[in-house]
Amino acid sequence: MSTITELLTELFLMPLIAFMVGLAMVLMLRKIGARLQRRVGPPLLQPIFDIVKLYGKDTQVSHGLIHDIGLVMAVGGYVAAEIFLPVPGMDGIADKGGIITLSYVMMVPSLGLALGVGQCANPNGSIGISRALTAMLAYDIPFIIVVFGVAAHYQSTSLVGMIEYQQAHQWGIFEMPLLAAAGLFALQGMMGKQPFEIYVAPAEIATGPMVEMSGKYMGGLFVMQTFQLYTAGVLYTSLFLGGGSNWFEFLLKIFVVVAIPMSVAFVFPRYRTEDMVRIMWKWPVMAALIGIAFVL
Amino acid sequence: MSKIGNIPVNAQAGKKRTNPLAGVFDELVQFCQSRSMFMLHYCTGCGAIELPPAMTSRFDMERLGIQPMVTPRQADILLVTGYVSVKTLKRVILTYEQMQSPKYVIGICSCTVNGGMYWQSYATAKVLNEYLPVDVYIAGCMPRPEAVIEGMRRLMRNIEEGKGHAWKDYFQRYDYYLGNQQHLFGDDWQTPTDIIGEARHYGLETEQTYGEHTRILEQHQQPLEPHKMRIKF
Repeated sequence: MSTITELLTELFLMPLIAFMVGLAMVLMLRKIGARLQRRVGPPLLQPIFDIVKLYGKDTQVSHGLIHDIGLVMAVGGYVAAEIFLPVPGMDGIADKGGIITLSYVMMVPSLGLALGVGQCANPNGSIGISRALTAMLAYDIPFIIVVFGVAAHYQSTSLVGMIEYQQAHQWGIFEMPLLAAAGLFALQGMMGKQPFEIYVAPAEIATGPMVEMSGKYMGGLFVMQTFQLYTAGVLYTSLFLGGGSNWFEFLLKIFVVVAIPMSVAFVFPRYRTEDMVRIMWKWPVMAALIGIAFVL
Repeated sequence: MSKIGNIPVNAQAGKKRTNPLAGVFDELVQFCQSRSMFMLHYCTGCGAIELPPAMTSRFDMERLGIQPMVTPRQADILLVTGYVSVKTLKRVILTYEQMQSPKYVIGICSCTVNGGMYWQSYATAKVLNEYLPVDVYIAGCMPRPEAVIEGMRRLMRNIEEGKGHAWKDYFQRYDYYLGNQQHLFGDDWQTPTDIIGEARHYGLETEQTYGEHTRILEQHQQPLEPHKMRIKF
């Protein structure tokens, strides 16, 4: 009985922690962007202000049932992903699901968003979401190859097992540097940072998928973003940086991982969608395949 | 909802507040609203040139929680920077009506206050608050970024003190605004947003919502239909 209570507590706490940490990550990214442009940047609680304000709007425009369901899928997909990600002291159901399940669950938000945006019937939104799904196709190929390589190296698909192995021996980034580099490349696309952010393109297609989102819907997307950053950071840390034995080490690692794409983002202009597919299927895939050859 | 086939209003109507903490929640939401403002800058005239320094490293609006957004759906503030010609005003009104309440309008430059140097122009709408409820005017030709930020802070104070309710005026006195709009654009002026239906839905209608001008609107209003798909070879 106590194990069930423990499990339920973990299932409740893990998404909550993910949300808190994600808020801090959003703040960090905006601060990094501001400091790179020599600005002061937003105050400490700005992400919370934004979300409360968006949820507190007086009028809402819903474009129909699928619009609502799509957004629930987008947020819910990431909430489901959090319980597969082990954190120090809490495993949730990470040892049951493993990384294959996690990869599937992480695709749910994009698909949900596609459904929701589809019903908005805004041409900018349709262009944006078609670009976003193409981008997903682009970065998921190297990402899946990396995941496959890592699983082959550790002879396991369980994130808990991988972390234990790394903490006992050596971090994955030293054992599989090519796979780690390919993973970092895919991470840049997964987080939609600068060279790969054509599906947002505020000046050209008016933020693409977000174009018709108002009030609570936009708030839902802001919440989704916090989970997205957390998921990306924790996944990379678990695969290559040995997870965390305590919370301080763990948080330090995931914040550094999330900070890297933002810090290099402003150096780049923007790739077109077809160029993004080309570059994603060429360099990271090549690096990952060579990495697998070393691992096997 | 009126009978005319406009975009329907689907959200739930406002419920009675029974929670004893409702006042605290309202204050929290007001505080957050004042600290997080997404602005849509409709750059019609020369005042737009003062916005880049206000947003970038010299004055940095983001430290006040103000950041630019690109679509009316996401935005809270409509920034009209400069003169509004009759043709532009139609677009400004369409944009304003698509924004979600609470929404605020800031008129920057003398041109929005009284026409400014375009006072004698036949093609310019002189006083912006005859067509839209304006929260804050920032006078000057052009106002410096400090003045723009000071105007933003004035709006923040108003919202925090619960005085930023100009948007309700558009629903409550729609007939007045519609009359001025019809005076410029002609009797067959209509927008895709169903203002009367929204006013009724959110409980904001008064006697002044209706009048002779809304009757003219109902006579001339035509149902909106989606564009036909055509492929040309």
